Amino acid sequence: MIKRANLLKIVSAVVLCSAWEIAGRIPVSYAFPTFLDSMRSFFEMIGNGMMLEAYKETLQPLVIGVLISAFLGIGLGLWIGLNNFFDWLFSPIFIVMQAAPLAALIPLLVLAYGIGLTSKVMVVCIMAMPVIVLNTSGAVRNTPESFKEMGKSFLASRASILLRIIIPAASPVIFAGLRLGVSAGFIGAILAELKITPTGVGDIITYSRSIADYPSMYAAIFSIILLAVLFLNLIEKLETVLFKGNQRGYVSD
Amino acid sequence: MNNIFKSVLKAAVAIPLAVGLTVGAAQAEKIRIALAETPSDELAAFFVALDRAKANGLDYEWTAFSDEELAIQSVLSGQMDIGFGTPYAAMQRSRAPLRIIFQLSKLKFFPVTTSKYSSLKDMDGEPILLHSRGGGTDSIANVIEERIGIKFGDRSYVSGSSNRVAALLGGRADATIIDLSNKNKLMRSEAGAEFNVLEMFDVEASDEALFGNLDWIKNNEKDVAIFVNALVSTWQDMHKDPSIIRRETSPDGPIGQLPAEILAELDGFYSDAVAGGLYDPNGGGRKAANADMEWYSAAGQLDGTPDTLNIEDFWYLAPLDAAMKQ
Repeated sequence: MIKRANLLKIVSAVVLCSAWEIAGRIPVSYAFPTFLDSMRSFFEMIGNGMMLEAYKETLQPLVIGVLISAFLGIGLGLWIGLNNFFDWLFSPIFIVMQAAPLAALIPLLVLAYGIGLTSKVMVVCIMAMPVIVLNTSGAVRNTPESFKEMGKSFLASRASILLRIIIPAASPVIFAGLRLGVSAGFIGAILAELKITPTGVGDIITYSRSIADYPSMYAAIFSIILLAVLFLNLIEKLETVLFKGNQRGYVSD
Repeated sequence: MNNIFKSVLKAAVAIPLAVGLTVGAAQAEKIRIALAETPSDELAAFFVALDRAKANGLDYEWTAFSDEELAIQSVLSGQMDIGFGTPYAAMQRSRAPLRIIFQLSKLKFFPVTTSKYSSLKDMDGEPILLHSRGGGTDSIANVIEERIGIKFGDRSYVSGSSNRVAALLGGRADATIIDLSNKNKLMRSEAGAEFNVLEMFDVEASDEALFGNLDWIKNNEKDVAIFVNALVSTWQDMHKDPSIIRRETSPDGPIGQLPAEILAELDGFYSDAVAGGLYDPNGGGRKAANADMEWYSAAGQLDGTPDTLNIEDFWYLAPLDAAMKQ
């Protein structure tokens, strides 16, 4: 028996794909392929190794950028949340980063970091880090005072208050930030490949568009969305393993 | 609560629809032109032709897109009437009834290298810098490989001829393919002596062409005729005297607003371009269409061989034929 939650996921996926198929058949635009055509290209590209080659390129900035953003972001977020001085020092930077029109700033990044991997990692980090940092610091700052008081009255050390009270209390919001940050990182990786130099999945998108192979173009876009969804589910699993008691269900899955 | 939700929903549907309809009705009279780039010296002749068309009663508005693909998409989806580019692949694969009506410029590009190479044959296995994968210079590289019987090494991509010249000058590349005006600028500069322009075969195929949806073209024959006539007359006058472009450029138009340094170079740009055969005074027509079939099938943008491709599927020649008779 399939669980109700899983059944709903399948139903919503089927509805989405059918809507895509219908829109492609009308067609809403000559440049919009049907779902089935796109899936055919998707499996063709997996079969002939093109997708694998592309992801070898795309995953480099994506994985490096997301890892840096996650570890550095949560670390900085904790620090900012615990210390008013660092809040004053660093928060504005991340608020500016979050609000910056990144696509327009890419020429500046290219000027500073060249057209290689560094620029692309920077784009991923600028997209992913602010939301992780700001969510983490906000969550830490909002730990209920009574929890910390309780820790103190049991003579807990500062380290155990941090590890056993503040972080678990903040974890749902930290993970919410992490999920938002990671999806922004995926957007950043593709943005970098479309705007800096076309490599990997970005190259499949631009090249198939220039030869009007629209099914391949949408298949490449679909593949990155699929990967992002799978990765977000993985993060949620990680959360349930690390912090039991946080399972309240999220929209992301 | 439910009622509030319903009225919000109604407004959400009705407002954009109403705005869309009024905007649509207001714009129905004007022809909407999708440019593939922001107005620059290369578009001066086109804007002169537009001014001549306006004097003959054509009402138009233009929108500049950041790249050619977006201009093609906007015509495909019907948001724009006439576009700028060479959408052969889109015509063949998307089954959209797009047709080219006028060849604006030819694919005149030049392989430029450091003194390391002196002919295209030397380029066998050597890396080359091009515009973008699947783009015009990429297709030139494909055809060079086929005709000369060589195979380039790694292809890397930097968009914009002037950026590729910068890469050459900065020593980051030894070979590239650039357009006529950048080639002339480079070779006339002091650094020119350090570079070679490799000899290449003549290309008649289109770089930029005007295209539209066939149904739209047939429904707006009068406007299209005024437009094509203006283009033909401008292109022919330009061939007799390239300086008419600068003289006829309206100071209030998008070209007239460009910096004075660029305007001062218009005469030089257009006399070089006419001498280099960048523009066909007859708007391309059948000759260009046949050259395009051959070129774009060799370059991999069109499936099939030139003799199986029918130019009527890609070009709509009636307005140009009519203009040439006048």
